[in-house]
Amino acid sequence: MMVLETILYLIAYPPLWHVLIVGLLGAFFTAVVAIWFERKTAARVQRRIGPYWASPRLGGFLNLIADMIRYILQEVIIPRSVDRVPFVLAPVAAFVISIMPMAFVPLSPYEKFWPVPNMDYSLLLALAISTVPPLMSIIGGWASNNKFSIIGSIRESYVITAYELIFVISLLSAAATYTSLNLLTIVNAQSPIAWLLFLNPIAFLAAFLAVLMSTSAFPFEIPESEHEVVGGPYTEYSGILYALNMGGAYVRRFIYAVIMSLVFLGGWAPYVPPADGPLFAIIIPSLIVAIKAVILVLIMSFLRAVYGRYRLDQALDSAWRLVLPMALIGLGWGIVLGLIL
Amino acid sequence: MSISEGTLGELRSKGVEVRRIDKEYYEIFIGPQHPGSGHMRFRVKLDGDIIVDADPDIGYVHRTMEKLSEGREWLKITPLVERMTIIDACNITLPYINALEKLMDKRPSTRASYLRVLLCEMNRIASHLYGFGIFGVFIGHSTAYMWGFGDREVFVELSEILTGTRLTYTYHIPGGVRRDMPQDFPQMVRRAVRYMRSRMPEYEKIFLNNPVIVTRLKDVGVITKNRAAELGVVGPTLRGSGIRYDVRLAEPYEVYGEIDFEVPVFEDGDALARTWVRVEEIKQSLNIMEQAIDWLERHRDEPVIPKEDYDKLPKLHKEVYEKSGRVKLLPAQISMKVPPGKAVARGEAGRGEIFYYVESDGGTMPYRLRVVTPSARNAIVFKRILPGHRLMDLPTVYGSIDYFAPEADR
Amino acid sequence: MPPRAVTKSVRKTGGLFDGVKSNVEALIIGVKYFIDPKRMTMFYPKEYLEHRPGYRGFIVLKKEVCISCAACARICPSAAMKMVRVSEVDPKEPAKQRQKQYPVINYQRCIFCGYCVDVCPVEALYHLPFHDVTYESLGDMFLTLDLFQKEPLRPVEKEGVPVVYEVDETLGLVKRERKGGG
Repeated sequence: MMVLETILYLIAYPPLWHVLIVGLLGAFFTAVVAIWFERKTAARVQRRIGPYWASPRLGGFLNLIADMIRYILQEVIIPRSVDRVPFVLAPVAAFVISIMPMAFVPLSPYEKFWPVPNMDYSLLLALAISTVPPLMSIIGGWASNNKFSIIGSIRESYVITAYELIFVISLLSAAATYTSLNLLTIVNAQSPIAWLLFLNPIAFLAAFLAVLMSTSAFPFEIPESEHEVVGGPYTEYSGILYALNMGGAYVRRFIYAVIMSLVFLGGWAPYVPPADGPLFAIIIPSLIVAIKAVILVLIMSFLRAVYGRYRLDQALDSAWRLVLPMALIGLGWGIVLGLIL
Repeated sequence: MSISEGTLGELRSKGVEVRRIDKEYYEIFIGPQHPGSGHMRFRVKLDGDIIVDADPDIGYVHRTMEKLSEGREWLKITPLVERMTIIDACNITLPYINALEKLMDKRPSTRASYLRVLLCEMNRIASHLYGFGIFGVFIGHSTAYMWGFGDREVFVELSEILTGTRLTYTYHIPGGVRRDMPQDFPQMVRRAVRYMRSRMPEYEKIFLNNPVIVTRLKDVGVITKNRAAELGVVGPTLRGSGIRYDVRLAEPYEVYGEIDFEVPVFEDGDALARTWVRVEEIKQSLNIMEQAIDWLERHRDEPVIPKEDYDKLPKLHKEVYEKSGRVKLLPAQISMKVPPGKAVARGEAGRGEIFYYVESDGGTMPYRLRVVTPSARNAIVFKRILPGHRLMDLPTVYGSIDYFAPEADR
Repeated sequence: MPPRAVTKSVRKTGGLFDGVKSNVEALIIGVKYFIDPKRMTMFYPKEYLEHRPGYRGFIVLKKEVCISCAACARICPSAAMKMVRVSEVDPKEPAKQRQKQYPVINYQRCIFCGYCVDVCPVEALYHLPFHDVTYESLGDMFLTLDLFQKEPLRPVEKEGVPVVYEVDETLGLVKRERKGGG
């Protein structure tokens, strides 16, 4: 028993568990599942099969693995005209920084399983770090020295200014409700079923739309809009660097979804983790959080089949005129909730 | 480093196009190898996100149809000209055959006329669904793309059953058509019509009334009534601007004058109105198909070529026609001589009016063949309407006029 | 009633209620097809489409019927068909050799318009109801007189199941397994 216990403790060692296992592997796995699901959903709605021949019994799931291997082994072409250092560093940095918010979120109510000793400002820290990766795609687009990349980067920068405020405000409504920036307090207050999704649906919807915008999902797939700007900021990228860029968006979507499932979906609620052993104290609660996040990501993927893309100015217009007021109403209602509760 | 005026002059004398780069504007090239350009290139000048100047550079697939026709016998021109718009092959070749019939002073049999109309309308639906699909994917709606192409398959399959091939039918011959319809064809057509009618509300819900799409299309690429007349655009682009013009209405050819159908006209003149014109046209084409198939079912005994031609056919040819409905050609028709003269004919193809001018000097080949295709006339929209729009409106306008590059470069 | 132009107008949209309603309608259609996809995919090598007899596919020559009139070669719009001169045993006088012309086809150029089949005064040419045949090199697509008389093998017949398309009122095209064999 001791050996097993020790291995479990090693796995549950917070930096390892949070950043590498749930963060990197979870995000990686979610990215693959989300892309697969996106393709399969779109195929179903569009009356096709989607990925199939690579593994008919798994619904073509191995197709995605094969794609991944192809990206890893593909030649990376670095054009002569690019600014090499930022060109190569930007996607790598974006991918790594995308996972960093995982180092500031609690996946267990017990202090020994926290990656950082103090959770008092965890919501703020996680949000702050989650805003960095889009800057990297702007840097990458600028370093590409390609007209389409630059247009894509500029679009990305417009979109960032629009969604970030919305995302932060709508999440701060939770902080207003429970008068705390501590994610743990927020999660515990929602247990078992008083989730903010039900108490404050407007803030949830605003945050959901902000995530769609930030990770350029449909209907806000504007920076990479293929029919005007080819690949947007990623036009010049190839091979593994392109995969990091493209996968980075899905990873970010997953990380945002983790934050959202902690804030709006009650974290590991309705499960109440007991204090004995790493399995029940951290592994199961993190799985619950991850599953909630995956469901959110899959809902976002479904939208591809139903919507086209907005024009840039229309997306910004709807962000500032429709979603921002929604987020503000959410914040206001959050404050009211805080007074009631 | 700058090039001296002398060098520039030298380059100019060698035929190199030399122009100053405008430093105020951002110039990008969209196409011909670009995911959203088709077989053409746009030279787009941008001021920020606003298009200042868009120069459509057509000619990438230029195939000199008109000149090639001058070296071909009359019958062989049909398979050549239908390659202009392979997805609308019936509509695009019909006026040529009509012009030829005028020169030869031949009237098609009524049954052949109805079969032509039936195939033309199936083709129009297939062509609109194709354009609809391309339009959908241009503005990011992949479901419209797949649905359009999937449902188009129904009509392509029907055309295959009627003519023996999916797209390049080569169906018309002077005085008639090459195949009669199979016995079980009417039921299939009726089922397909009912199927498509039941699908239209779903298209409207997921695409046309989808708020994202409506926002994207409304008030984009507005061509006012006067502007449309001035630019000389044709087809759904013209009718989307409120002008009541359709060749089937203005100068009914074949049996269009006897069929009860509406020509939908929308007043708004924007991309949304043009899309709606196509959707309403699909509905009307379904009506026409039903009426044509009803008539064809009632008049099964008539041959698909004129009676006097049929009587002259050899015994084997009659046997083949009785057995399989296939009209065999006579070897004499290969190098038939057409009386000298000039003829024009026009028809309403999926994208608008198609016009043929055919001149014969009495030989086995035309002396001159002139084609004016709808896409060639609509291409002006890029130059005149795009400036002032945003870059993201380029695919919207492109898709909404349903531009088909090979058709413009005949 | 004769054809007539009718002015219609685009449905006016606007307002929060309308926006929510249209969004929900679009999502419902999406979910409806997500639950019941009504697929129309054909698994091509595993299934293949059996075209109807009138299909204009590959062309085969019945040499014994051919009267060497060259109408097929003359009508070919893409100059895919050419006449070749062969010397063969005269069927009437077996001791003698005779010179005769027969058509051959170049499938690099053929556009399957079917003019040659239709113009043949003795029905010496006929269509096969398929055209998915592969060749290893472009040179193989010039059929010799011997090959032109044989029906080419359709590779997909070896591994696939033949299906036919039927037009359906609710599903569009439905593929059904061909009834019976051969």
